[in-house]
Amino acid sequence: MAVTVKFFAGFREATGKIQDSIEGVNNVTSLLDELVRRFGEKLAERLYSSDTRELRKTVNILVNGRRLDFLQKLNTPLKDEDVVAIFPPVAGG
Amino acid sequence: MIISRFGETGQQKLKAAHVVVAGIGGLGSPASSYLAAAGAGHLTIIDSQRVELSNLNRQVLHWEPDVGRSKVKSATEKLTAMNSNIKVDAIFEQITSENVDRLTKGVDVVVDGMDNYPTRYLLNEACARNRVPFIHGAVEGLVGQLMTILPGGGPCLKCAIPNEPPKKPCFPVLGATPGVIGCLQAMEAIKLITGVGEPLVGRMLIFNGMDMTFDEIKVNRDPSCQVCGRQDR
Ligand SMILES: [Zn+2]
Repeated sequence: MAVTVKFFAGFREATGKIQDSIEGVNNVTSLLDELVRRFGEKLAERLYSSDTRELRKTVNILVNGRRLDFLQKLNTPLKDEDVVAIFPPVAGG
Repeated sequence: MIISRFGETGQQKLKAAHVVVAGIGGLGSPASSYLAAAGAGHLTIIDSQRVELSNLNRQVLHWEPDVGRSKVKSATEKLTAMNSNIKVDAIFEQITSENVDRLTKGVDVVVDGMDNYPTRYLLNEACARNRVPFIHGAVEGLVGQLMTILPGGGPCLKCAIPNEPPKKPCFPVLGATPGVIGCLQAMEAIKLITGVGEPLVGRMLIFNGMDMTFDEIKVNRDPSCQVCGRQDR
C-alpha cells in the first residue's frame, strides 16, 4: 500500500521533494520513521526537538485534510491512498 | 471597475461594505491599501503599536517620518489620501477577549493582519460566534499562508492549525512576502463582498517564494472542533 506525503516550505528543502509515495507504513509514527530513514538527519532535525525527541510544535501534520489531534495523534492509522501533508505554519504578519 | 461580473452592483456592494483589518503591519498595509483603492466604503483598522524603523521593510503604509507615530494614525492618513470617498476608523487598541466581539460584530469581513496566534485564535472564535468571514494570512521569510474561513462553511483556523507554533522573538520577513499574501487577502475580501468567484475555503494556500510555488493543502472541518464544529452548515 502507498501513502502520498506532501512536503511544504522548509520540509521541501529538507527532503528535496515536493511529494513522495511511501509503502509499507501503517500509522503516522511508522511513516515519519520511514521518512527519516530516507531523508536523514536534515529531516529528523526539522521534525523532532533535539532534547526530547518529540515532534516539534512547529510541525503541522494533516491526514486527508484533518488535523492529527482530532484523529489518534501519532498512532493515527494510515491506509492506501491516504494523503499526508507536512508543513510548518508561519506566524508573522 | 470593468471586470466581468463586478460591474456597477459590485462597486455599490464594495461601497456599502465594512471591513475590519486587524493589524496594520506587513499584511494589513497591502490588504488595506488595495481595499481602499478598490473603494471598500468603511475600513476599521486596529493596531496597538507604534511605527518602528525595523517595520519599514514590509509595512509599506508607514514611512520614515512616521517612526514613533501610532500605526493606525499613519495608515489612516495614507488610506484617506488614496481614496477620499471611504471612511477609515482608527482603533489604537490591542485586541483582547474583552473587546474582540465589539470589534467584529456586524462587520462584513475581518482580515487577519496579526503577527501572533493567540490573537488570531481570538479573532477566529469571535468571527465564528458573530458569523463574520475571516481571512487568515501569515508570513515568515519567503513563505506565506492564506485561508478564507466562512461561518457555517468550511474549516476554521483551529481545524487547520490546532496549536500555536512556538513563539519566536522576531520573524525575519522579506517585505515582498506579506505584499503577496496581503494582496491576496484583499482579493478574497473583495470577492466575498461582491459575491464573485470561488473563495479559498477548505484549502490553505502555501506560497513559497524560495522556489516560487503556490500549493494548496486540503483542510477539512472537523465536527468535534470546539470553534466551528457545532455550527450549522
Ligand atoms: Zn474549526
